[in-house]
Amino acid sequence: MQIVSKLRERRYQAILGAIIMAVIILAVKPEVLLEGIQRSSLYAVIALPMALILGIVGIINLAHGDFMMLGSYMAYWFAVKSGLDPLLAMIPAMLAFFLIGILTFYALIKPVLGSQELNQLLLTFGLGLVLEEAANLSFTSAPLKLSVPYVSASLTIGDLTFGTFEFVYVLAAMLVFYIISLFLKKTRIGRAARAVGQNPKGAKLVGIDVNKTYLIIFSLSIAIIGTIGVLFAMRHSVFPVMGAPYTMKSFCLIAMAGIGNITGILWYSALLGVSESIITAIPGAAGWADLVFFALIVGAILIRSYQQRVK
Amino acid sequence: MLSIKNLDAFYGKLHVLWDVSLELGNECVGIFGPNGAGKTTLINCIVGLVKPQGGTVEFDNKTLLNQETFQIIRSGIAVVPQERELFPLMTAAENLEAGSAYIPAAHAKRKERLEFIFSIFPVLKLKSSLPAAVLSGGEQRMLTIARALMAYPKLLILDEPSTGLQPSLTTDLFLRLKQIRQSEGISILIAEQNVRQCLKAIDRGYVIENGKIVLQATAANLADNDYIRKSYLGL
Ligand SMILES: Nc1ncnc2c1ncn2[C@@H]1O[C@H](COP(=O)(O)OP(=O)(O)O)[C@@H](O)[C@H]1O
Ligand SMILES: [Mg+2]
Repeated sequence: MQIVSKLRERRYQAILGAIIMAVIILAVKPEVLLEGIQRSSLYAVIALPMALILGIVGIINLAHGDFMMLGSYMAYWFAVKSGLDPLLAMIPAMLAFFLIGILTFYALIKPVLGSQELNQLLLTFGLGLVLEEAANLSFTSAPLKLSVPYVSASLTIGDLTFGTFEFVYVLAAMLVFYIISLFLKKTRIGRAARAVGQNPKGAKLVGIDVNKTYLIIFSLSIAIIGTIGVLFAMRHSVFPVMGAPYTMKSFCLIAMAGIGNITGILWYSALLGVSESIITAIPGAAGWADLVFFALIVGAILIRSYQQRVK
Repeated sequence: MLSIKNLDAFYGKLHVLWDVSLELGNECVGIFGPNGAGKTTLINCIVGLVKPQGGTVEFDNKTLLNQETFQIIRSGIAVVPQERELFPLMTAAENLEAGSAYIPAAHAKRKERLEFIFSIFPVLKLKSSLPAAVLSGGEQRMLTIARALMAYPKLLILDEPSTGLQPSLTTDLFLRLKQIRQSEGISILIAEQNVRQCLKAIDRGYVIENGKIVLQATAANLADNDYIRKSYLGL
């Protein structure tokens, strides 16, 4: 009886639907599900730091993917200059991007904090273009590829073959999600950040240094996305505009989940990633995979407007 | 303890406070005036949310004008803002926690304080695990007052605290404020339109109209003043 009553709640219906779908795909084409999960994790781990900046600092950072691109070039640069394994290069990259975050905050973000949203959008959009052009001038637009032998490792179980390295994205997504959640719930600065995200004026009035909180959250998020860029470069080609589609997708995932909803990003990333994998696996339909993304956004917006009208 | 001298404040070209001076020692002081008189602006000047063009604001003989809001709050001033300014998605308990978390001295004594607060506002204990956004207007008002008390302020500033409270609660609130003031020896500044009820709690009061202080007197003198009786008490 309890199960029946729980099933009336939409949340449980969605989870049940997801499980049924997963079982069907797993039965028919298991590698599609695995690939979908890996892809979803990549989307999620890229979107999470952008969501943090939007939810707390209140800025839509349209240069988000371009910071990832910088991280990828940094991985390449480390590998060529010092032969440093990209997995190890993540550590200095994280520090470097934390500093880049601080500089960017003071130079560009802080001056526009109280300004109109359009100004903020134009600023971060422009910053993205500058970063892309800078990469273009320094490295040309030719795609670079790191050669790290172990990334193409794969595992065969029965007649199922899948890449194993991509599971680092799953690991990274889980780690970043877990750390961000813990940080926001348990630490003093994290709690202050949640307060600032919900009501900056209220936060000032309980004694929170709001500007310092913005600085920390922004720099931390840039540190995360730069580090993800290093990881990304291990499996993907690196070129100046590689980040732009990820900015788009991240922004739309955040919009679908709702600002401030970190858990929702995981669900919507899963929906997007697995759907794309399914389409890609249908013979002759691979080219349509990019459309999934637009279909999902339009669908999500329609559903939300419908719900609002019903209310 | 709080000393405001010759304050002038503007919003753009709009001159909102004109040469406002106000002194507050260890006492409870009221600021009365109609909507738009400048009460909230005056409070915002004290806590650094509005930067005045001229004049001085001192607290414990230190100027507040070059300090940021969070520093002013940490120096011992707590505010119950007119628009409440709660954290809507946090539970009532988390909102209370936030009231003391960023003020080290208050943070150490938060447990006792919480008990005290639940004893004056039992409804907050009942609803402590609900998000602030789902509380009723009156409950949110109580939560805002309670959050300010969590800071163990030396000076408590309340901006129209009776708005949205039912009349019996309003009477109760002013009584409580008087008790808290006596038991803890804190100073209180209340901006109100509900002059009748507020007069019972205060020692002295100022009347502000169109951004100028037009009258200041003890509570007893205000209650007897013909102008106050006609314009604010409807007698
Ligand atoms: N943020 C603002 N921008 C411009 N004008 C404002 C602002 N806040 C208040 N005012 C104006 O300043 C005057 C005083 O307002 P306020 O201090 O809120 O009065 P009160 O709190 O006594 O009702 C009013 O004329 C109001 O319209
Ligand atoms: Mg007001």
